[in-house]
Amino acid sequence: MPAVWRTAHGQGAPIRIGTTICKTGALSSTKSTLTGLELWRDDVNKAGGLLGRPVELVTYDDQSAVAQIPSLYSKLVDIDKVDVLISPYGAGLSAPLMPFVKQRDLFMIGMFALAGNDVTRHDKFFHSAPWGPESKTNWARGFFDVAKKNGCSRIAVLSADVEFAKTAAGGAEQIAGEYGMTVVYKQSYPPATNDFSSILRNIKAQTPDAVFVCSYPPDSTALVRGLSEVGIGDSVKLFGGAMVGTQYASLLGSLGPALNGIVSFALYAPEPTMANSEMTAFLSRYEKVAAEQGLDPLGFYIPPFAYVAGQLIAAAVTGAGSLDKAAMAKVLHETEVKTIAGPAKFNDIGDWTERRVLMVQFRDIKGKDVAQFRQAGRQVILDPPSLRSGDLVAPLTKARSS
Amino acid sequence: MSLRENAMDWAVRRTGRTPRATRSLVFALGCLAVLALGVVLTRMVDNPYVFFAGYVVIQYVALATGWNVLGGYAGYINFGPTAFYGVGVYMAAFLVKAMGAPLPVAIAAAGVAGALLGLAMGWMTLRVQGVYFAIATIALVVMAETVIHNIDYLGGASGLALMPPQAPAWAGGQPQFMLMVMLAIAVAFVALARWIEISAMGRGLRALKASEIAAECAGVPTFRLKLIACAVSGAMLAIAGAPYVYYASFIEPGTAFSLALSLNAIAMPLIGGKRSWVGPVIGALLLATVQQAASVTISSELNILVVGVVLILFVAVAPDGIVGIVEKLTRRRGA
Repeated sequence: MPAVWRTAHGQGAPIRIGTTICKTGALSSTKSTLTGLELWRDDVNKAGGLLGRPVELVTYDDQSAVAQIPSLYSKLVDIDKVDVLISPYGAGLSAPLMPFVKQRDLFMIGMFALAGNDVTRHDKFFHSAPWGPESKTNWARGFFDVAKKNGCSRIAVLSADVEFAKTAAGGAEQIAGEYGMTVVYKQSYPPATNDFSSILRNIKAQTPDAVFVCSYPPDSTALVRGLSEVGIGDSVKLFGGAMVGTQYASLLGSLGPALNGIVSFALYAPEPTMANSEMTAFLSRYEKVAAEQGLDPLGFYIPPFAYVAGQLIAAAVTGAGSLDKAAMAKVLHETEVKTIAGPAKFNDIGDWTERRVLMVQFRDIKGKDVAQFRQAGRQVILDPPSLRSGDLVAPLTKARSS
Repeated sequence: MSLRENAMDWAVRRTGRTPRATRSLVFALGCLAVLALGVVLTRMVDNPYVFFAGYVVIQYVALATGWNVLGGYAGYINFGPTAFYGVGVYMAAFLVKAMGAPLPVAIAAAGVAGALLGLAMGWMTLRVQGVYFAIATIALVVMAETVIHNIDYLGGASGLALMPPQAPAWAGGQPQFMLMVMLAIAVAFVALARWIEISAMGRGLRALKASEIAAECAGVPTFRLKLIACAVSGAMLAIAGAPYVYYASFIEPGTAFSLALSLNAIAMPLIGGKRSWVGPVIGALLLATVQQAASVTISSELNILVVGVVLILFVAVAPDGIVGIVEKLTRRRGA
């Protein structure tokens, strides 16, 4: 088609990046995604934009509802004419979008969509979070690596009866089998459970070496409190693994010292092995915005990876020298991208080639001041070995009393 | 003779039909016009967003109409319409996953499942009334969701991604096809609701709503009518859910049994007016369109607030909804 007939993209016309944010609904605690993206947009625009054009974010509230996704993304693509998409938060909200993205051959960055592209296998999809390949099974493998290293052979698996927890528990059983460990206790519980005393007593009676817990924030809180009240026995060296909520300041602040000894997953911890001036600078800027907007004051979990999503888009667009989706995907498939969360390299379905999910043990937590979590030594990295900042303190009873 | 009676008399003399037959003819022509409008829309509009958003709005027309058969005509407030809707969603998903079932099969199966569930719920709960019946319907949602959480074949709590069969070529695309399907369902539901309203069943339901004891004394088979209303309403709600898997390609219990969906399905007939078939249609079109527009213009918190505030206003000021207000105004003008 002659250029004269094509839609004009003036030199000053912004590059539009479209996404939905869970501003309301069950996942509204993830709305700090927008702050991460806005900080990236401001940085890029300050530096002259992409391809000499400013960057503009087009966002809608998806209400954390799957039913909203098809129409909102259709609006982003067909009416707002965005150039690049970022997925909604998590695998559940991203799933209805994947066939649409593949069918229309769109370029999209995934936001925390664990194993989000494993079924569709779209070649223009890239994760911003470092879940690594085969993430459905492997993302919590670090917990079992630590367990194996510390001689654990008897495993208890406790999971909430909800999406992410059930997936994690399924993967855990598979890895335990692979490592020759015996699952001595397996239990799921309804999401509204807030009294775990009988479950914890049951686990105690099985004398496991490690307890892999897949819980959501309200039950994570109840479990940690139950642990302080009922205990878990001297046999347990490792407790936790997939406790959602321990990544957010609100839960860290409310539980305080009760967290000591617990092991959970994270994507960033302020340990010397992860020291990175760009990340530190990002977090200090984020903290100011968070204080004004009442967001998570620490922002370790989601905002940096929203910024990473922007960095991936920037690398793809500048590398391709255009908004051609195939060229942008080719750049990310072939080049390592430097991000504030470390270098990112992708496999054919957009997973980070290296899993960088941390297993951290809470230590020396005193009082309920959230600021202490910004200090090194409070979330000691046990896994992966490349980022390890300390060894497991075991058994759990000792770690909790220290 | 009032203006209305004059008009009816004129219509009978001119057409040789009774007013009721004339109204039915006008209604049928209206239904055909709506379907024709849908076809024209899918041919003339290129933007798929219109079809995605339109699907949601029309789905609410179907849901509100289905709910109104039991909640409006019989006065038995069902707080768990999503139990039936969710069963429809999951029945369709099961059939698509197990045998790649075409949409008509999924819709029919969802209807049967919804009717059976409605019968079972009615048989177990219809001997209680008012708040006790409402509580029982809430329990039904919790039970249905818990069952789905524990069926791994249907994705359990994680949800299930499916690639449903492609839309037929004549439809012009999947979103266009889904809009047409939902429009056909909604039109059929409205026609069914109107038929119930003007039939002996509707009169029986209105009688038992006014006074169950009096209706029973007058020979109205109240329990049987309530059971039928439960089954019909259940089937309609389940059928409204069946196409969802073809629309979204992904289902999960949180959406299929969503509280917001229940709230909307109840609020729409209350706002539109629950005594007549036209009330749920007006309520759904009004509220769902406002919600769709709000979700891409103003914040969603305001969106939910709008539903709540409008609902409270209507319950307090106009318990018979928009249709009630219009009737009152017309009556005043006639007098």
